[in-house]
Amino acid sequence: MLGLAAIGLVIAASVAIGVWGVRAARSTPDFLVASRSIVPGWNALAIAGEYVSAASVLGLAGLLVKNGVGAMWYAVGFTAGYVLVAALVAGPMRRSGAYTVPDFAEYRLGSPRIRRMCGLVVLVIMLLYLLPQFKAAGVVLELVSGIPYWIGVIGAGLVVSSTIAVGGMRSATYVQAFHYLVKLAFIAGPAVFLVVLAGAGRREAALHPVAADPDWTRPLLDLDGSGHPLLATVSVLVATTLGAMGLPHVVMRFHTVAGARAARRVAVSVIVLLSVFYLFPVVYGLLGRVVTPDPEETDVVPVLVPGAIAPGVLGAVLTALVAAGAFAAFLSTSSGLLLALAGGLSHDLFGGSLSRLRLGVAVGTALAVALSLPAAGVDINVLVGWAFAVAASTFCPLLTLGIWWRGLTETGAAVGLLVGAGSSTGAALASVVLDLEPGVLSILLSQPALWTVPLAFLAMAGASRFGTVPDWAGEAVLRLHVPGRYSTGDTGAIPRARRD
Amino acid sequence: MNQRTRVTSPQTRLAQRRGSDAMGRLSHLAGRPPVPSSAIDLAAAERALRRQRRLAVRTAAGLLLALAALLAAAVLTPGRLGWAVLFFAPYPVLLALAAAHVRRAERIEDGHAAAPEDAA
Repeated sequence: MLGLAAIGLVIAASVAIGVWGVRAARSTPDFLVASRSIVPGWNALAIAGEYVSAASVLGLAGLLVKNGVGAMWYAVGFTAGYVLVAALVAGPMRRSGAYTVPDFAEYRLGSPRIRRMCGLVVLVIMLLYLLPQFKAAGVVLELVSGIPYWIGVIGAGLVVSSTIAVGGMRSATYVQAFHYLVKLAFIAGPAVFLVVLAGAGRREAALHPVAADPDWTRPLLDLDGSGHPLLATVSVLVATTLGAMGLPHVVMRFHTVAGARAARRVAVSVIVLLSVFYLFPVVYGLLGRVVTPDPEETDVVPVLVPGAIAPGVLGAVLTALVAAGAFAAFLSTSSGLLLALAGGLSHDLFGGSLSRLRLGVAVGTALAVALSLPAAGVDINVLVGWAFAVAASTFCPLLTLGIWWRGLTETGAAVGLLVGAGSSTGAALASVVLDLEPGVLSILLSQPALWTVPLAFLAMAGASRFGTVPDWAGEAVLRLHVPGRYSTGDTGAIPRARRD
Repeated sequence: MNQRTRVTSPQTRLAQRRGSDAMGRLSHLAGRPPVPSSAIDLAAAERALRRQRRLAVRTAAGLLLALAALLAAAVLTPGRLGWAVLFFAPYPVLLALAAAHVRRAERIEDGHAAAPEDAA
């Protein structure tokens, strides 16, 4: 019950900050995109807040207990993606003035057809990413309060969609920033306590797993037990690193900083914030291996560990804190995802007015809730890994080629997106349906990024040859890289001095 | 801060800011650059793009090398020292890569804004 109360407090605080944020918005001339005037520090916090999802807060530690220390390669990939975001995407995206990936596609290629294709891809990525978030909410609520999984998932859906309705996009920056701090405090604080409370014996056991399985102690990741851990690790790294670059809701956030330079710097700050956070899943994972060696549901390991180490009131308090941190992760990520999904539904696919955004949120939530009911048994990180693999195989090539190569054409983008989306989702589906023997083939299907990303790049670049490069394409690319008055993204009511 | 501000809904401001049509699309962008070509020093812009691209390729290659080296180090370092490599070593490396890129990219932009010269 304490856990439920802590979760309730996080929800109440989020709504309060959301409402306050809306009020701040009314008094500031340029808020919505606005947040342009927001200090880059807040933006970095908000991006990290949205990005550190249930996969990081819950999934990593669970996977570490189940599959071994190699699980932390996920965290390395999640962070490494921001090196590419800073180097390839952030600045030019900001200058394009495009708000979403489909917007960018239209800017760069001038094609409503590609825009709609991108809208569909956004839908797929966002749904794949939303499922594990709702699963996390369901299992955590079930654990702390005994509410059945399906009621928890539906309740979580109601909470998220109503917080969006109250706060909306306008206050998202502050709410997300708050959530990063909640996650860090509620995961890091208890972690320090737990390391102390665990005692010398259990600390020793955590660091020296007696007679542990060599597969578990080896710093490589082999989810299926395929016997090819290096291949599996590399494929996960490719998916997470390149996927981070193509995540629609992350790209969207760079629109809210003052200029291209600030956008790049924000990406660097995000690396710092992620690095700090990713020290703690290790603590829960290693301790979890000792105190909850064989949990029924690995994704709730961080919530189980405090109770196993510190019984009584202290244990209950720490459990409540961790549960609230996990719920904050669910809340921030899923509201960011739902906004991107609703934007995709209402704006990019159906060309509807912005007032359809709320309907989009409701539809998106209903879809995610319905799909996450049967997904209860799938590991959070597996599902998130698929979302990254699809993003890496579609938007990563589209943005990279679109930003840096003027030869990209409408034909190339269309073929590349079809090939990338088709191969990555097809492989993931096949891995579920076929139930193959563990081996090279099972890795290539369940973690397809290793081959689908190069394939998508090749298809996009190759098929571009069959289209015609419009005469304005060269300039559309140049404007992404030239600071100051040439770039459309920096026009508008922003004073000169604040641009680049 | 005594200046009066016109109050419009965020959506209206967004639409105005983006110069969108009624559907909120960026229609003016597609194929119709608002800045005529003659307004841009095309040669200088071209040089800036080339230098930025070279830098981007270098950073991406650096990231590939760094991840490969980290993977090798984690696997080859025996015992729990290998864990430590995986748990702690990647983040400072990634941060250094990104920070170095941003510094260089900004230097290219400054060079471009002041006096475009093709040093490299």
